Amino acid sequence: MTTSHSSTAGASGAPAVELRSLVKTFPPRRGSHDSEVRAVDGVDLRIEPGEVVAFLGPNGAGKTTTLDMVLGLTDPTSGSAEVFGRRPRQAVVTGSVSAVLQTGGLLRDLTVRETVRMIASTYAVSSPVDEVIDRAGLRSLADRRVSKCSGGEQQRLRFALALLPDPRLLVLDEPTAGMDVSARRDFWDTMHADASAGRTVVFATHYLEEADAFADRIVLIAGGRIVADGTTAEIRAQASGRTVSATLPPGSVAESVARLRVVDGVRDVEERGSRVVVTAADSDAVARLLLLDLGGTDLEIVTAGLEQAFMTLTGDSRDAGVVLAHDEELAR
Amino acid sequence: MNATFTMLEMRRITRDWAGMFFTAVLPAFFYLIFGATVSAKDASIGNGNVAMYVMISMAAYGAVTATTSIGGNAAVERQQGWGRQLGLTPLADSSYIAMKALIAMTVAAVPVVLTFTLGVLTGARGSAQAWALSAVLVLVGSSVFALYGLLIGTAFRSEAAVGAAAGTLVIFAFLGNLFIPLSGALLSFAKLTPLYGYAALARYPLTEGFLPDGSRDPLWLPIVNVLAWLAIFGALAVVLVRRGRERQ
Repeated sequence: MTTSHSSTAGASGAPAVELRSLVKTFPPRRGSHDSEVRAVDGVDLRIEPGEVVAFLGPNGAGKTTTLDMVLGLTDPTSGSAEVFGRRPRQAVVTGSVSAVLQTGGLLRDLTVRETVRMIASTYAVSSPVDEVIDRAGLRSLADRRVSKCSGGEQQRLRFALALLPDPRLLVLDEPTAGMDVSARRDFWDTMHADASAGRTVVFATHYLEEADAFADRIVLIAGGRIVADGTTAEIRAQASGRTVSATLPPGSVAESVARLRVVDGVRDVEERGSRVVVTAADSDAVARLLLLDLGGTDLEIVTAGLEQAFMTLTGDSRDAGVVLAHDEELAR
Repeated sequence: MNATFTMLEMRRITRDWAGMFFTAVLPAFFYLIFGATVSAKDASIGNGNVAMYVMISMAAYGAVTATTSIGGNAAVERQQGWGRQLGLTPLADSSYIAMKALIAMTVAAVPVVLTFTLGVLTGARGSAQAWALSAVLVLVGSSVFALYGLLIGTAFRSEAAVGAAAGTLVIFAFLGNLFIPLSGALLSFAKLTPLYGYAALARYPLTEGFLPDGSRDPLWLPIVNVLAWLAIFGALAVVLVRRGRERQ
């Protein structure tokens, strides 16, 4: 299931992240009869220094749990996680990895600058507080209480905190969850400005556009497993093809579906009332058949996008939970 | 120990005016009303007078209010994600706990210093040994209630619950013989409640166990009370913290 990723980076030294047969289970909820939950179910992954990798998957796919183990916040049930060849907690202590976590987790009664000073004080060596505040675009907010900052501003503050140890690996867990479009764009602009430093970046998202726009490599996760791994182009190619749809005359749908199914290169035929939706490698042949032989009208041909690829690969088109935000032009 | 971190934590506490009022000002005010201005204030009790008896009681009330809310808020803020944020830094859990303990003791010292200073100025009298020992016992004993705050904060996960926990201290203070002298069946029951042993122990250097109604507690009684509640709070806190960790 997992496609191997041929990396070009980092021949020397340890990989930035190495996960081997990583498993994390949680006990069932109190009072329920469910069996234990396998949040992460055997993940093998190697990320080289300098890569920018997106963990893409629906909510509950196991992204956060996997990242928690990379950061040493949770211990694996079995398997191992290493960061630059060390145990995650050691990597955190030496400042080689840091992270921007999901919402929550700031002290509301401190100011922005005080928060940065407080976290800076836990490191033996850290970047200067004012420099980090500038890089995260927080200079004008430095003396504002955290409770008075918007969600996007708080997220930039978490980003500032993550920059303090000048980490070689930066982990971002759903960094833009809950932000509006412009706040999200601001956040990624800040990230882009910083990425030139050659940092390894791993981020989790369920926004396809973010993964597509920012990552060199996408790791698709569903049900606690990696279902695909490659560049954006590679992932798209894995589920290439086009979707052809048309309205058919009443009464002929069942027969037409049967004929379409046997056409070479047709992968899927779906009935939606009087319309059929055909996924096929050769869309021209299908279109010809629909218009000329089957009496189809209102023909539409759509090229499979990344979201289509995602659905094909996770095998679930309805409950995938991936946000298909066509109208959101992100980060460039 | 991290000076910047501790100083910023202290600054947070001084920003909380309402909290500082209940911790520092209210006990001092209570002392002035119930201790310094009552007619019986110069009546002698053990090694000193009634004013000193009330002074120690009120200092104890202020100190446990401080440790309960600091322990409780630490639990709540850790569960609201600050614990994960700190988990991304080199800060060890043991240093964090040491800093919080230092802060709790420092803040608990505020009502003690304030009330004892007012005591000196308004005629509280006692032996030098009673002054010194009771101050130490008030401070050290108040740490037990940091555990009380911690377990309430862990169980209910909200700042409001911590506020309510500090509020329950008023009830415990009545039952602990801190505000008004109890007698009869209520006094017998009171001896089982959490603030009774702590307050009685803090007053022991002054009273040598004598109570306002003329009866006398043997020294083992407040000691057993404190140790029993320490064990109960400690065991519950361990269970709740462990359960919270499993759920993460």
